[in-house]
Amino acid sequence: MELILVNIIDGLVTGLLLFMLSAGLTLIFSMMGVLNFAHASFYMLGAYFAYQISIALGFWMGLLIAPLIVGVLGAGVERYGLRRVHQYGHVPELIFTFGLALLIEELVQFIWGKNQMPYSIPEVLNFTAFSIAGNSIPAYKIFMIFISVAIFIGLLYILTRTRVGMIIQAALSYPRTVEALGHNVPLIFMGVFGVGTALAGVAGVIAGPVLGTFPGMAFVLGSIVFVTIVIGGLGSLWGALVASLLIGWITTFAKSYNLAMSDVFNAVGIATPENLSDHWLRDLWTVTSPQIADILPYILMVLILIFRPAGLFGKRHS
Amino acid sequence: MSTPALELSGLKKSFGKAEIIRGINLSIGKSERHAIIGPNGAGKSTLFNLITARFMPTAGSVKLHGEDLRGLQPYQINRKGLSRSFQITNIFPAMTVFENVRCALLWSQGYKYSFWNLVNRSRQLTEGADAILDQINLLGRRDLPAGALSYAEQRALEIGITIAGGADVIMLDEPTAGMSHSETDYITDLIMKVTEGKTLIMVEHDMGVVFGLADRISVLVYGEIIATGKPEDVRGDPRVQEAYLGAALEAEH
Amino acid sequence: MSDQLTTDPSKPAQRMRAGSMSLTLMPWIIAAIALILMPYIFTSNSALTIMNQMWITVIFALAYNMLLGQGGMLSFGHAVYAGVGGFACMHIMNMSDLFASFPLPVLPIFGGLFGIGLAMIVGAFSTRNAGTVFAMISLGVGELIAACSVIIVAFFGGEEGISGDRTYAMPFFGNEFLQQIDVYYLTSFWVILAAALMYLLSRTPVGRMANAVRDNPERAEFLGYSARWVRFYSFVASGFFAGIAGGLFAINYEILTEENLNTASSGVILLVTFLGGVGFFFGPIIGAIVFTLVQTVLSLQTELWAFYAGSLFVATVMFFPGGLAGLLMMHVPVFKLGNAKQLIQPYIKTLLPAAIGILGVCALVEMTFHFRHASIGDDEMTLFWTTFDSHTLLPWLIAGAVALIGIGIAKRNASELKEAWDAANTAGDAS
Repeated sequence: MELILVNIIDGLVTGLLLFMLSAGLTLIFSMMGVLNFAHASFYMLGAYFAYQISIALGFWMGLLIAPLIVGVLGAGVERYGLRRVHQYGHVPELIFTFGLALLIEELVQFIWGKNQMPYSIPEVLNFTAFSIAGNSIPAYKIFMIFISVAIFIGLLYILTRTRVGMIIQAALSYPRTVEALGHNVPLIFMGVFGVGTALAGVAGVIAGPVLGTFPGMAFVLGSIVFVTIVIGGLGSLWGALVASLLIGWITTFAKSYNLAMSDVFNAVGIATPENLSDHWLRDLWTVTSPQIADILPYILMVLILIFRPAGLFGKRHS
Repeated sequence: MSTPALELSGLKKSFGKAEIIRGINLSIGKSERHAIIGPNGAGKSTLFNLITARFMPTAGSVKLHGEDLRGLQPYQINRKGLSRSFQITNIFPAMTVFENVRCALLWSQGYKYSFWNLVNRSRQLTEGADAILDQINLLGRRDLPAGALSYAEQRALEIGITIAGGADVIMLDEPTAGMSHSETDYITDLIMKVTEGKTLIMVEHDMGVVFGLADRISVLVYGEIIATGKPEDVRGDPRVQEAYLGAALEAEH
Repeated sequence: MSDQLTTDPSKPAQRMRAGSMSLTLMPWIIAAIALILMPYIFTSNSALTIMNQMWITVIFALAYNMLLGQGGMLSFGHAVYAGVGGFACMHIMNMSDLFASFPLPVLPIFGGLFGIGLAMIVGAFSTRNAGTVFAMISLGVGELIAACSVIIVAFFGGEEGISGDRTYAMPFFGNEFLQQIDVYYLTSFWVILAAALMYLLSRTPVGRMANAVRDNPERAEFLGYSARWVRFYSFVASGFFAGIAGGLFAINYEILTEENLNTASSGVILLVTFLGGVGFFFGPIIGAIVFTLVQTVLSLQTELWAFYAGSLFVATVMFFPGGLAGLLMMHVPVFKLGNAKQLIQPYIKTLLPAAIGILGVCALVEMTFHFRHASIGDDEMTLFWTTFDSHTLLPWLIAGAVALIGIGIAKRNASELKEAWDAANTAGDAS
């Protein structure tokens, strides 16, 4: 029971972290119709910038400044890159962001090298918040949950309660009308892109010390983020939230309970073959849940796409 | 009377709470040229999209040669001999004019999903496509990319693609929209020529085109057909005068 | 003249048919002769290895372009079809009885069949959509299969992969493919065959409709074709040729690992294809040749070659979405008008300083890299056959100046080039 509680907290942390990325990604998608392949690269940049800043000014300044720099960079990418490629259509746009992801990874290696950076949790938060049956929950995790929830509430408030949010929502569906009403739609697009990437930056700043700050970090998380928004339904913010949490919990639980496939088969009444080591399905029999934890999101995605192509919360488009 | 080419019965369509098409019964005979007119927002294009399975009807049925089209995909309907054009020009702009027409011929000439025939080796395809190009007077533009044609030429190509497959029921959605007078006359003659012996159903705004082309006219107002008949009957129908021509006159002032 | 050609329906068609036969055959004959002669020009074993890799990449890139260029489907996980085909061939190589019953050149067909099998399974649900959704599914499925490679050890061999020995096949006219040169001719045979088949495929009804569906799926549906089935056929055909490329890879390297499946490999093939140009059939061929050369040459010269390749890729997407083939074909009208000569001088005046300027920028990049990452005390570096101390000011000044001046001159002359370009594209000016 206690272990379940610990896992729920761990899964929540992962899920909320995913959500910080998928929220921006899905917002950008519903706005411009393009999936930003380089989204996780901005997350990585957030971590690296924060690390660099934290050396000179400490963690908190990093948390404050790094997302701003990332957001400005993101807005720049939209203004000088995407907007140019936009005229060629969606596929080149997607290819552009893919190339950008490659380039950012190379750039990061160029500047900081291939090794992991010694970017760590600030001293103030380096203590155990509380323990559940001997499992200590570090304060930093609580801090991560706090930050993500605060950002989510802030985002929700801005989108639904403020004038800017109303204009953004209108611009998502009726860009021309909004433009005709005298609003600068390209500027709104650039702004949303900047904010979306800045959110990814925040995620990078707070995840860097726990998940490691290294050149492959964008790639590790990036494809999971795509899977998340496909599962949630492209363009749906609620879908992104639900799918993020779902994936967070599924992977956490799969990792912490060592469930072997043979147990599952035995439980449903299929006997283990006699000479397993020669059996052609031997890998299927010996597989354990921690082994497949990382590919569960992909399996989930394939299943969703087969049975509910529009995703959990996606609108079925004709 | 034999089975009608197209028969709509009790056709309804709602978007949310708004009922756009409110129960349409219409029967169009073989080789008839039928025009559907009506003021803006009457639901003409929706009706078109219902017939060609772009939208699912909320109730009622569409029958082509007595066969219910419910649940069929656009390509299946096309294979049954119904072909349509679009209000917004819908061609393959990157391909040549010739290839546009050739693509439209492939299915009807029985090539299906063949990957063992070479299209440029088939005399039948080349000659068939050239014959269609000749009909729509675009032979001189044969090897240009379709996107480079003038607007009127693109509309003509659209009609060419629509008829190329040899469908016997042709549906044209505002074929003369956005054209000048001379262009309109040109397209009207063209439609006259290429739909010889076929069933034609068209949505049209231009009264000159409608009265010149159609054997019968249906007037669609607020999702209902208020009158169907020969052009002169419809013209004289007081309800039509009131609902449609009156509104049109009002709009002109 | 063009009017004359097109007003008579019967004549031009015939003339085109007669002309197109020799016109379409010529490039193939030239290519075949070139393939046969290459080993006499580049005799070293390493050259043969590079060429083998090139031709395999050509097949793979052409297969990829069947999706991207001709079908409008962007795949981020196409390496798995080549990879699975390759792994299947590896397993066949290791089934000694079966493998000894047929000659080696037949093996890639099995790779192709496995490619088809996988493509049929994935295509069944992924070809419902083109565009973004298709791209996402391809990425997810690609990741899934790549991740499986460490779990399903029986098929993928885990971390160390699967290796085999190609010489156990039935001798092919007495040849056991012991030498690199034998493998070269095997690969060359397949590259011609596969390229020709793919070219012919693009000329069949389903190939033409793939273009139609790419441009306008809705219109294609109202012409009697199901967009989904057309995509499915393209996808499966592409899987077949990708599998062939995988089989050839297995023959060449006699080992396959997780690297053959992962997203990085899928990314490389996208890069190669796009660089070459997706709009023309021969684009991916150029892309594969240029990319393999650049990779081989640059990776020997600099650690940063991936960085340069990435920059080149992003620049291509932003400024030349037609790729190299697009750039080449842009010049066809100029040649037809006979104005090509007018362009030579402006080209030299712009491109030469631009190239020098870019080399200057590269020098700065290399020096920065050396400055940051070389071990402490190691201040000397060698660049463009010059050895200097990267911690002194002078080399920085020189490189900076070269970069600035080169790009400056190129920028100034660019307007001249543009004028010359416009003039060369206007008929009548020349005569």
